[in-house]
Amino acid sequence: MIRDLIYVLLEKTIDLYIKIRTRFDKEYMIKNSSRIREWKLIAYAYSRSSIGVLGGLIVFITIILAVIGPLVAPQPYWVYPIMENPETRYLPPCIPPICSGRPLLGTDEWGRDLLSIILYGFRISFVISIVIVLLGAPIGIILGLISGYKGGLVDETIMRLTDIFISFPGLILAIAFASVLPQRIREVLEANIYLRDFFSYLFGLRPQEYGQLAALLSVWFAMVIVWWPGYARVVRGSVLSVREQPFIEAAKLLGLSTWKIMTRHILPNIISPVLVMMTFDLATATLAAAALSFLGLGPQEPVPELGYVISKAGNFFPEKSLHVVAIVGSVLLFIALGWNLLGDSLRDILDPKTRRSIEYRFERRRR
Amino acid sequence: MSLTNFIIRRIITFIPTIIGVMFLTYIIAYAIPTDPVRAWVSEKLTDPTIIQRIRSEYKFDAPWYEQFAFLISSLFRGELNDPVRHKNVFDEIFSRFPVTFELALLALIFLIIISIPLGIIAALYKDSLVDFFVRFLALFGSSMPSFVLYYFMILIFFTYFKATYLAGVPTPSVSCATTLNSLPQSYPVIGGIISFIGSVPIFGAAICGEWDVVTETIKRLYVPALSLALLNGGFVARIVRNSFLDAISSESIVFAKARGLKKINVWRHAFKNALVPIITIIGLNFGGLLSGAVIAETVFNIPGLGRYMYDSISRLNFPALIGSVFLVAIIYLIVNLIVDILYAYIDPRIRY
Repeated sequence: MIRDLIYVLLEKTIDLYIKIRTRFDKEYMIKNSSRIREWKLIAYAYSRSSIGVLGGLIVFITIILAVIGPLVAPQPYWVYPIMENPETRYLPPCIPPICSGRPLLGTDEWGRDLLSIILYGFRISFVISIVIVLLGAPIGIILGLISGYKGGLVDETIMRLTDIFISFPGLILAIAFASVLPQRIREVLEANIYLRDFFSYLFGLRPQEYGQLAALLSVWFAMVIVWWPGYARVVRGSVLSVREQPFIEAAKLLGLSTWKIMTRHILPNIISPVLVMMTFDLATATLAAAALSFLGLGPQEPVPELGYVISKAGNFFPEKSLHVVAIVGSVLLFIALGWNLLGDSLRDILDPKTRRSIEYRFERRRR
Repeated sequence: MSLTNFIIRRIITFIPTIIGVMFLTYIIAYAIPTDPVRAWVSEKLTDPTIIQRIRSEYKFDAPWYEQFAFLISSLFRGELNDPVRHKNVFDEIFSRFPVTFELALLALIFLIIISIPLGIIAALYKDSLVDFFVRFLALFGSSMPSFVLYYFMILIFFTYFKATYLAGVPTPSVSCATTLNSLPQSYPVIGGIISFIGSVPIFGAAICGEWDVVTETIKRLYVPALSLALLNGGFVARIVRNSFLDAISSESIVFAKARGLKKINVWRHAFKNALVPIITIIGLNFGGLLSGAVIAETVFNIPGLGRYMYDSISRLNFPALIGSVFLVAIIYLIVNLIVDILYAYIDPRIRY
């Protein structure tokens, strides 16, 4: 039932996209009929894979919570109830039928409602992972394309550069960058009020916490610096195998520019493993950013970064803060699990070899 | 190409990488807007002449290329000093590295015990319960925040079962250490090798016959090692499963079956063919573990290399950082090299 619903939804989206394209180009549908057929096949294959649907559902919930989280959070994160009532520190969770009058998921070190903390933290974790991957992947893809297609000295230089970044333990490099960057970013944020407002809005924080914002952005930059070499390597490897194909030679003979050959003829042929990698990396980036905050390199009080909340609770583990570590930890697990499940199914779906077996069923269904 | 030529070429290509790694480390250290000397000296010693002296000692008043040359040259002469602890950087590193090595070794053993049997069983019985479990473990390992897993391992093994402890790391007794250190004088070659192996506490204790120290060390480190292995085990098991499946469906195995070889012999052939990707992934994992599991060492309170690097970053102690990064890059090089040599040994086609 839910599978058919998802398939219909995806098919309608593809149809809508075709309709928009047809406005500008009358023959779009005829020219791209095989491509459209492939898209619909992918949509069908996706709707048939149960882990993919589950992962998509979790990702959908994550996105919704990340968007609306800071807006619906019952308590603001910058108010510390512990100032008025010391008893509110690390209250255990309270499920309605059994007890009442206390916050649903308990409280943290400062007596803040854990549910609100998580809702704010969702936005931070989600935005940071998305931006790390969306910035890191294009840098890696472009360098990998250039390096694989040009070859020679350019290739050698770029690959030695990625070697340098890869032979560092990733976390150590990120720690190093995250610890030197905040001061510089802080100066920029101090000078530019619009930038400060934009980023605080993006992360769901208050503009006056720009010092913490600078720490958050430095984690972000550090991760981007660490992230791109992986993509550069994978893309270069795939480019090398595509480069010698006859259709690239044909494109060269037709006199297409190097840029056009790279973006229009090579990139579409190598993009699916990269897309799968990006999906998996969204999970890894979420966890790695939380790990940096856990080590105390990200934002500090009062910003509710999930990793930082866990590291604070860790000091009183397990007597008082078991519920904080368990609940916030499972929130991180939830986000990462969604991306990993989605990536797992995309790997099967976007691979033309495994997709063929699904195609048969698809064709039978159409008839 | 012969194996020796292959090895030499591999080593030469790593030299520019190592110089680049150190330059990158230096840039990180140089990018700090604050004055590192202020962070090194304690509050009492803010006497400007002392600060000036330290500054000239580490060439802070010189241009950047002289600073870099100074750091590199003192690194190769082994005279780089840790300005916070006032000791030689290499002494500090070598007092911590054995602990990281013990942890990495235990984690590697757990990793192999977990992943290889699971992967092979999952490949032989595809779509069975074991196959599902491997898939679950891989998903769990890549989705679980490592520090949360560590906390729960502490909860289970330390708080409930009291089967481990979290303070200090056991070392062999003083008499044992002095005996080991004096060995090279009496037996130059063999004694040197034994004392080198014995510099890792657990091996040293084993050589001296202090078995209680060995068991104590294992008791101290098996929980973090098991957690590290659990985080990576599923992923490695999946690689084992996939490469084993590839190997088993290859034409040579079909031929071996057709020829009527015994089942166990067929599997032996398949396993040898499947070994290349398995060795890569396990080697990479081991290299990563040797360079210090920062989070595990922080949560479990283990005084290892990862902790040292983390501490030196947070105190802007970049002579120590450059020394440790140099060591880590060398370790990475050696592990990569061993993996490559094993490749070339197993699969002669790679020696192109």
